[in-house]
Amino acid sequence: MGTLDIGGSQLDASWFLLLSAVLFSLGAIGVLVRRNPLVILISIELMLNAANLALVTFSRQLQNIEGQLFALMSMTVAAAEAVVGLAILVDIFRVRDAEDVDDLSQLKG
Amino acid sequence: MAIAVFFVAAAIALIGGIGVVSFHQPIRSVLSLVLVMLALSVIFLLLSAQFVFAVQIIVYAGAVMVLFLFVITLLGPARELGRGRLRYQGWLSALFVLVMLGLMWTLLQGVEYRQPDKTDMSFFGTVQSIAVGLFTTYLYPFELTSILLLVAAIGAVYLSRKRIDDL
Repeated sequence: MGTLDIGGSQLDASWFLLLSAVLFSLGAIGVLVRRNPLVILISIELMLNAANLALVTFSRQLQNIEGQLFALMSMTVAAAEAVVGLAILVDIFRVRDAEDVDDLSQLKG
Repeated sequence: MAIAVFFVAAAIALIGGIGVVSFHQPIRSVLSLVLVMLALSVIFLLLSAQFVFAVQIIVYAGAVMVLFLFVITLLGPARELGRGRLRYQGWLSALFVLVMLGLMWTLLQGVEYRQPDKTDMSFFGTVQSIAVGLFTTYLYPFELTSILLLVAAIGAVYLSRKRIDDL
């Protein structure tokens, strides 16, 4: 039941899920290793995209549209997250250089 | 044919994903992420998600990534120089991510797929089928996302306003 018939070819749903897992791991590496806050935001976007791929894959396997609807919701959330995150970043840059998240360790108003 | 398309798109997505984490200049990371998103949109099309494919290109690769590029042009090129303050950060995170990937791989082996619903696949993933779901069963979540976007827009304007004491 895990095989998907796409245009006559048999593709396994687990290939898509494995690609999603690897892309998610790459995003997690980016968040953990990189220190530029902008690159960390980009890595979060990568993880959200990987999650979307898993949602759409299961939607296709179950032939149920709800997975795609949820992927659209998560795209909305990702857009909102990017907007607010970048606004915070620009606000921080106005006061000081923020090339390293380790420098942003004082949570003061 | 579909198998070849899948593997080419998956390879491009993986190359882009590696580029996102390994390039030192943020602008190259952003362009790598655009590559990943375009490759993923091809895969969405393979999975007969036409509307998600279009939204992925227009909203994600178009709007969100242009926002990132604008911020980079605003802030100027920033490079990561020197070492971080945490020792063994790279090794520990590599270990953590390997464990997580192994966990996901193990879970993937045990996935038991349910019998698919009997859906008319000729309409699957079209704007029509998406709209029927979005405006009937999921109307309230859909309306709530509009409030979320409004809050995000107001928040962004508030955060990036010119303060009185700056003038």
